[in-house]
Amino acid sequence: MATSMTIWEKLGFRKASRVGEAGWGHTLWAALVSFIYFLPVLIIVITSFKVQNEALSVPAKFFPTSFFGLIPEQYVFTPTLENFTSVFSRAFTTGGAVENTGFDRYFFNSMFIAGTSVLLALVIGTLAAYGFSRYPLKGNDTYLFIILTTRMLPAIVVIIPIILMFRIVGLSGSYPGIIFLYTAFNLPFTIWMMKSFFDELSLDVEDAARIDGSSELRVFFKVCLPQVVAGLAATFVFGLILTWNEFLFALLLTGSDTRTVPVAMNQAVAGGGIGVLWGLLAAIETLFLIPVFLVTFFLQNHLLRGVTFGTVKR
Amino acid sequence: MSTIEVKKITKKFGEFVAVRDADLSVKAGEVVCLLGPSGCGKTTTLRMIAGLERASEGDIVIAGKRMNELPPEKRDIAMVFQFYALYPALNVGENIAMPLHFEKLSTEERNKRINSVAKILHLTEVLDRMPGQVSEGEKQRIAVARAIVRDPNCFLFDEPLSRLDVELRHSMRGQIKEVLSNLSKATVIVTHDQLEALTMADRIAIMKDGMIEQVGTPHEVFAKPANVFVASFIGTPQMNLVEADLKSFGKGVASIILGGSAVEMAADPAVSKLRPSKVMIGIRPRAFTVQDKASKDTIHAQSELIEPMGAETLVHARTKTGADIRVVVPREKRVKIGEILHLKPDAKQTHFFGEDGMAVRT
Amino acid sequence: MTTTAIQTPPTAFTTLALDNWKLAIAGGLGVSISACLAMPATSSFWVVAVMMALVAVTFVVNAFRRHYYGGLLVSPAIAVLFVMNIFPLLWSLGLSFFSYQSNQQAIRFVGLANYSKLLTDDLKAPELWANLTNTAMFTVLTVSVQMVIGFLLAVLFAKQFPLRRYLLILVLTPMMLSVVAVGVFFSYYYDPTFGVISQIIKAWTGEQFILFSSKAGAVAGIVFADAWMWSPFVMLLVLAGLVSVPTYLYEAAAIDRVGSWRRFWTITFPYIRGLLMLALLFRTIEAFKMADLIILLTKGGNDTMTISYHVIRIANEQNKTSEGAALSYLLLFVVIVLTNLYLYIANRRSQGN
Ligand SMILES: Nc1ncnc2c1ncn2[C@@H]1O[C@H](COP(=O)(O)OP(=O)(O)O)[C@@H](O)[C@H]1O
Ligand SMILES: [Mg+2]
Repeated sequence: MATSMTIWEKLGFRKASRVGEAGWGHTLWAALVSFIYFLPVLIIVITSFKVQNEALSVPAKFFPTSFFGLIPEQYVFTPTLENFTSVFSRAFTTGGAVENTGFDRYFFNSMFIAGTSVLLALVIGTLAAYGFSRYPLKGNDTYLFIILTTRMLPAIVVIIPIILMFRIVGLSGSYPGIIFLYTAFNLPFTIWMMKSFFDELSLDVEDAARIDGSSELRVFFKVCLPQVVAGLAATFVFGLILTWNEFLFALLLTGSDTRTVPVAMNQAVAGGGIGVLWGLLAAIETLFLIPVFLVTFFLQNHLLRGVTFGTVKR
Repeated sequence: MSTIEVKKITKKFGEFVAVRDADLSVKAGEVVCLLGPSGCGKTTTLRMIAGLERASEGDIVIAGKRMNELPPEKRDIAMVFQFYALYPALNVGENIAMPLHFEKLSTEERNKRINSVAKILHLTEVLDRMPGQVSEGEKQRIAVARAIVRDPNCFLFDEPLSRLDVELRHSMRGQIKEVLSNLSKATVIVTHDQLEALTMADRIAIMKDGMIEQVGTPHEVFAKPANVFVASFIGTPQMNLVEADLKSFGKGVASIILGGSAVEMAADPAVSKLRPSKVMIGIRPRAFTVQDKASKDTIHAQSELIEPMGAETLVHARTKTGADIRVVVPREKRVKIGEILHLKPDAKQTHFFGEDGMAVRT
Repeated sequence: MTTTAIQTPPTAFTTLALDNWKLAIAGGLGVSISACLAMPATSSFWVVAVMMALVAVTFVVNAFRRHYYGGLLVSPAIAVLFVMNIFPLLWSLGLSFFSYQSNQQAIRFVGLANYSKLLTDDLKAPELWANLTNTAMFTVLTVSVQMVIGFLLAVLFAKQFPLRRYLLILVLTPMMLSVVAVGVFFSYYYDPTFGVISQIIKAWTGEQFILFSSKAGAVAGIVFADAWMWSPFVMLLVLAGLVSVPTYLYEAAAIDRVGSWRRFWTITFPYIRGLLMLALLFRTIEAFKMADLIILLTKGGNDTMTISYHVIRIANEQNKTSEGAALSYLLLFVVIVLTNLYLYIANRRSQGN
């Protein structure tokens, strides 16, 4: 029979068997593009395994091994884990004592501040979104529009009064201050996204639950929330990515105890040029990237569904 | 020549075999219905013919050319999807025009073609509307219009009428049949509704669990079902299928014990090949006549439930051995619940099935 | 809604009850004002906060007793947004009418002087104008690059193919980096001696390559880094649109032998139009606010100063708080005008269809 598959076809190099699907041939293309796009990140990761003079070497060294002599020696560096250990403690002057750099603290700060404020925004925002969706107020759209526009403001417009306000009440440099600020920073987006999710749900199910005698709370927790998990996940990822890396507010409003990693990183590079410890910096960023990377990876499917749900009106 | 030949195609989704060794050929101008319960692989078969799904094994030959490897674009077929698949951003006229762009017609020619199909399918009024603004019946006609506006190798319909209400379904059946009869193309219609298949098809292919059980004209599949499944699937009310003991067979007469009654009836000579054993007897509910007295060619059953169906009455009766027998009697015939009925099966309409479920016939 | 509001009569003004919000407001105001007058700012703030909390509690209890669930649900959000957004906004509006520097105590009402200075001063007006044009240039360049790259990437990932999940996350990674790292490491890549990009170009042309030696180079470098970082965002939105197109439409198009160009415009595009516009809006607003990358890459050198960076400089580095506030308001005005223009166009488009 003429239809037995060739080896090529088995590998996926064949005409798509269905419209909208592609085989390994397409994967090859996508892999190439993704690799090129990912290259700058890859170099950061590679640099995190280099000592300073190899990070600054000309020509640049890309390969951790020579692959049995395949790669010319000049492009090969000796990988080291030194940078990763010295993220947390290192000697600041040559021959000086090993000191704590405080980065463990900064990592904790980043996690605590971003995690708390994104979750807080998710809780408050989801409640508000449910309210806006199910109990429309007079002039509902106007409120929503105002809420959305607050997100469009350049941060700098509100930052001066907030600095002053925090200074007056003693919140500057404290955890509650920055967490509260980030919560407000994430709220508009959360409300807007979750409202579109609640709007999509069929009211019949809820009414059926009410007729069965469920309380409003039960309807919300047992009927509505389970249906918008994708939205919660997508909102969480977006909020986390933005908050995790936020720099300007953190720079101006965190103190030495509450400093987040981006701010600390910025201070570590203050010298610029040769003075910057590239390997160390790369190690910091690599470590800093891992949590969001994992969260995004595991919530990826929700992310796509969340975006579509939240924006495509049917 | 517009023909379709499907040779031993099989479709596997991973381990699951959705269609197995299906054979089917459709001549030019012939309408073949793929009929079967839902989930039996009808759509999958149709999609393989269209090229939307690749056959795992077997060949698909359209208009004399083997087309296994070709994408749908190269097969020159027209298909009506189950849910119509109208392009939501285009108005009705533009929807119908979509297949024509390939032919690079002049605007004039194109409009002429659109207007003529719109007239056939009564769509002239709605040509400027969006798909969201037309009724379900109109959507269905738009989908058909989009298929017949060009001159393809063949037509494929996937449950074209399943979303319409009974009345519309009835009138559309007629319309589609009429339209198709003027086109003389090979046509495959998928349906789970036997009435649709019986009325529209020149031939019917009956599917079950991915296999084609029988192919034949509506008359053949009704009068000579190839096996127990086809016998039970075709015809309403459903054919009675009762287990019986075949005692002996001689001179064209079979002696059987059916529902506790010994019956002698004329039977196909092929029955002689059956060893005296358990057989399955199939008798349509309309093939009984109710006798006044018991005789050697009647079976006895007690009526249990009476369902008036208008012109006729459906009686559910139970034999001594507990088998349920459905009998259709004329309306005038008053049957009482609990009455013992003496039923004489019409020998010409009695089917013998062997232990393998296949009909025994010469 | 299915819930019927049961009309509990309102509590009388003089009753001491937890749902008597009118009394709570009156009392709270009185206590707050006297606290403000009598106590230092740090402690009076907390008194005011406690009073506000009290009023909030009465509101909540009132809403709960009378089944105003809507108000109950949205009020925490409104409160947070009010404190952290609306209130600071009004405050900075007020500030912009004063002469105030955060490192000095003196504060003086000057009316519109800050604004007129910014708009007419021989030194400041041209600078403002130059920064605005720079911002517009950056916005147009980086947003158009992002839209194109993001779109192309989305098309690449629209189909189902093996390993898609894993490749997609690689492309999304730049978005997850901190802007500090992007700024710092792009300056590392651009470095004239040991930078990777400079090395490659040097190997090509034989001459040392200094990207930031000209304005064009500096702009290109900033736009490249920004677009690289944010194209994945556009991709994500467009991809979400692309995967929401029902497969059966593409199947019907295949049967109807629709060409790929027409297929894109008549089937795919209607599904991504809204998302494209959304991506455009988001990215334009963000690009308009661009400051951090520039601080990290050029520090505004080579005439790459943007308006946002300018505000930061005035307000934070030079401590001219009220001048910064006035400038922020000019900026806000531009953003609002742009957004409304966008909404107007978007609405007219959707009505056209
Ligand atoms: N893409 C698919 N992947 C896995 N199983 C499928 C797929 N498409 C159809 N099937 C299975 O194949 C069987 C036949 O489906 P189908 O041809 O759609 O039946 P129908 O006769 O109702 O049209 C069903 O059991 C269905 O679950
Ligand atoms: Mg089907």
